[in-house]
Amino acid sequence: MKEVLRFDNVSMHYHTRQGETVALENLDFSVSEGEFAAIIGPSGCGKTTLLSLAAGLLKPTSGEVKNAGVSFGYMLQKDELFPWRTIEKNIFLPLEIQKADTPEHRARALALAEKYGLGDFLKNYPSQLSGGMRQRAALIRTLAVDPDVLLLDEPFSALDYQTRLSVCDDVYKIIRGEHKTAVLITHDISEAISVADKIVVLSRRPAHVTAEHALSFPEAEPLKRRENKDFSVWFELLWRELNA
Amino acid sequence: MKKHPEYSREHLLYLRKLKRNGALVHAARIAVLFAFLLLWELSARFEWINPFITSSPSRVWDTLVSLYRNGTLFYHVGTTLWETLLGFFIAVVLGYAIALLLWWSEILRKISEPYLVVLNALPKIALGPLIIIWCGTGSEPIVFMTILIGLIVAILNMLNGFMATDENKILLLRSMGANKRQLLTKLVIPSSLPAFISMLKINVGMAWIGSVMGEYMVSKAGIGYLIVYGGQVFKLDLVMTAVFILCVLAAGMYAIVALVEKAVIKNSGR
Repeated sequence: MKEVLRFDNVSMHYHTRQGETVALENLDFSVSEGEFAAIIGPSGCGKTTLLSLAAGLLKPTSGEVKNAGVSFGYMLQKDELFPWRTIEKNIFLPLEIQKADTPEHRARALALAEKYGLGDFLKNYPSQLSGGMRQRAALIRTLAVDPDVLLLDEPFSALDYQTRLSVCDDVYKIIRGEHKTAVLITHDISEAISVADKIVVLSRRPAHVTAEHALSFPEAEPLKRRENKDFSVWFELLWRELNA
Repeated sequence: MKKHPEYSREHLLYLRKLKRNGALVHAARIAVLFAFLLLWELSARFEWINPFITSSPSRVWDTLVSLYRNGTLFYHVGTTLWETLLGFFIAVVLGYAIALLLWWSEILRKISEPYLVVLNALPKIALGPLIIIWCGTGSEPIVFMTILIGLIVAILNMLNGFMATDENKILLLRSMGANKRQLLTKLVIPSSLPAFISMLKINVGMAWIGSVMGEYMVSKAGIGYLIVYGGQVFKLDLVMTAVFILCVLAAGMYAIVALVEKAVIKNSGR
């Protein structure tokens, strides 16, 4: 399979008046096309920095981030829907930004919204939607410009547990249904196991890769995976690696 | 409130209670005004206080009518209103533009910070003599004073509003590939709308301070002129009447801004 994203010996230093912080050190991993990769690490280990590097918003201090000319879509912890725009206008936002606001692109985005159950809410404002629906709208917004790779920065952490499980299931199905490559960053081990084909474990700061696992579950959906007996085996293993 | 068949008895009682409380507040407000006017009038009538220096509601009313009869009422009101509105709009527009510029350029923001702080703290009336010499004795010095008083407040308030833009939303737009101009038009300006409205509210007050203070300094007409003139010739009825007119005008302008706020909020889903 084609590699769409590769971190080659990447280090990242931050400079402030108080001094220099090493966020990432000699980071090596890759993501192939169509893969759902999860990156887990203790909180504050530079996970968000990693996504910003992947999307090209930051330049690494040393090493190289190769992203083979693919386009990225970013999904954040909170939905960050603009409260003054209707759901429809929120979904069109990336089209406007990328000067791709054409009738065909709009139709495509609307078809996505329709397909994933947002059809009745297009004219509503975000404040009128539930947390789960808002996060779904945020995903459709990300998909509106048809990005090759989705970068998910703890996209479920702001939701309550019940909603979180169902939205996670939701998002997984949509991403699989649209055949996207995805990189999920999380500190939630069970979330990572329930969605990923591959899990990359990061150490405490300065973060480097301590382990990499390929997962294969017979069941595809996150909620089904959670019932599999291998789930707890994986959980224990990753938990130990995270706390090593 | 119409009767709703689905509401329970408790809910109807609750609604009725809300309505009654609202009516009570309204009635009390009017009652306070009338009690004050009545007490003032009676104290002046029975000379518990000296009506020559405190005036009275009936004297204010008589003065108002005589100003209207001799045709000068709307002349003075018009003069002050024009100066206030002109100063208000220039201060708001210029303040908004300068705040935008300072948002855009971090280095300009840092350079101008101490100047803004000092200019904000400076009592603008101290510049009175200078303003008269620079602008003459017509309406210009008054409008200038109004602008001066409103401008810095407008800049600081708007800049605060712009700088308070959610960092995560900026990150989101940047991840979509937005440039700075797009950040401004798609995010910073719309999200600072509440700050803009509150800036308008503050500046309504500032504009009246500016125009009346300007008229104290130098003027041939206007409400501030009436107050100064009334004080000099010891016609305190005139002073009270002018103050009353100011109350009405300021309340009117505030009400207009409140209407704008309502319309804006209704159209933005907030």
